Amino acid sequence: MSRPAHPHAMQPKRPGRTRTAPPQLPPQFPMSGRYRAYTLFDWTGLIYLLLGFMALEIVWAVGSGPAAWAAITARFENPVYIAFHILAFVSVIFVGVRFFRFFPKSQPPRIGPVKPPPQPVILAGLYAAWIGVTAVFAFILSGGLSG
Amino acid sequence: MADRPKKKFIVTRFDPETDEVPKTQEYEIPVEPDWKVLDALNFIKDEIDGTLSHRWSCRMAVCGSCGMMVDGEPKLTCKEALSQYGDTVEVSPLSNFPIIRDLVVDLDGFMDKFQAVKPWIIRAKERAVEEGPMRQSPEELEEFKQFSMCINCMLCYSACPVVANEPDFLGPAAIALGHRYNVDSRDEGADARNEVFRGEGTVFSCSFANECSEVCPKHVDPAAAVNQAKFNAVIDWAKGLVLPRGGKE
Repeated sequence: MSRPAHPHAMQPKRPGRTRTAPPQLPPQFPMSGRYRAYTLFDWTGLIYLLLGFMALEIVWAVGSGPAAWAAITARFENPVYIAFHILAFVSVIFVGVRFFRFFPKSQPPRIGPVKPPPQPVILAGLYAAWIGVTAVFAFILSGGLSG
Repeated sequence: MADRPKKKFIVTRFDPETDEVPKTQEYEIPVEPDWKVLDALNFIKDEIDGTLSHRWSCRMAVCGSCGMMVDGEPKLTCKEALSQYGDTVEVSPLSNFPIIRDLVVDLDGFMDKFQAVKPWIIRAKERAVEEGPMRQSPEELEEFKQFSMCINCMLCYSACPVVANEPDFLGPAAIALGHRYNVDSRDEGADARNEVFRGEGTVFSCSFANECSEVCPKHVDPAAAVNQAKFNAVIDWAKGLVLPRGGKE
């Protein structure tokens, strides 16, 4: 038997006539079968939380002058930070691909009089936009605008 | 019968009169190559242990009665070929449901949730019989047909991690059914259902695990319905904020 689910999961409003055994979680939940991808998807939230704190720290360093900025960029050269950023990069791709896979079917059949385009077209548009935005950022961050 | 290959079945047993918690019991039986999992359970019941309780009816994946966990995954046992499983097959009652006895789960909670979404056509004013039937174009039918194919087998509830942890969650099949009526051109009850959908434990509790759609034997895609219902509930709420009289005529 697997682990117990919430004791009131799928319980009727009124108790039944016979005693029942409490509901059990799906045996594969949370880290086996297809649940693994879902659980990892949830765990990426922790990575984005940490990235959020780092972004705040960067903004703080920018506002605190050149010395603070130099200190934080030097710290980011530490292998631990590099490893974290690689992990964050992988998780962004994982979440992006998962989101794009599910987004087309979450569109209603019509929004007022407007019907959304076919799902493959939505998917192609999402990937095109992602690649486009990534290319623009890569261009800017690699100093393309400076000269 | 002696020449037939054998498989071992590990079946969950629970007797509410004597057991505190469910236990498992093993049966080794000869199987035929064309058997479904349900055939094996029926063989156990008929030939070995008449006390085993399980639900089944149509044997053609239409009635939705025989949903169980087979090797940890929710399946319609009448649809699953036994040949695709190994020498040992584990059969247990649907996850996330209270267990009444052996492989039989309590459906009353499911029926309560179904009722909450008003799964019937609501009209502001009933159409007179003299006006004839309501006509629908093939395009209008296509918008909801997929969601009307649900056979209420509850596999989606059994696979959903939110159902397991949030007792108030309406769940995939009920929301899909409510959404089915919301997008039906004959229905005028979307406001009432969206009111339900915006409440506690409804569409916004769904974290889009997509497991409901993965296990659905009829390809209803309840995850699509739940997330389309989210979209529509937000649009409905926003219209209520910015348009005069909430956008209602």
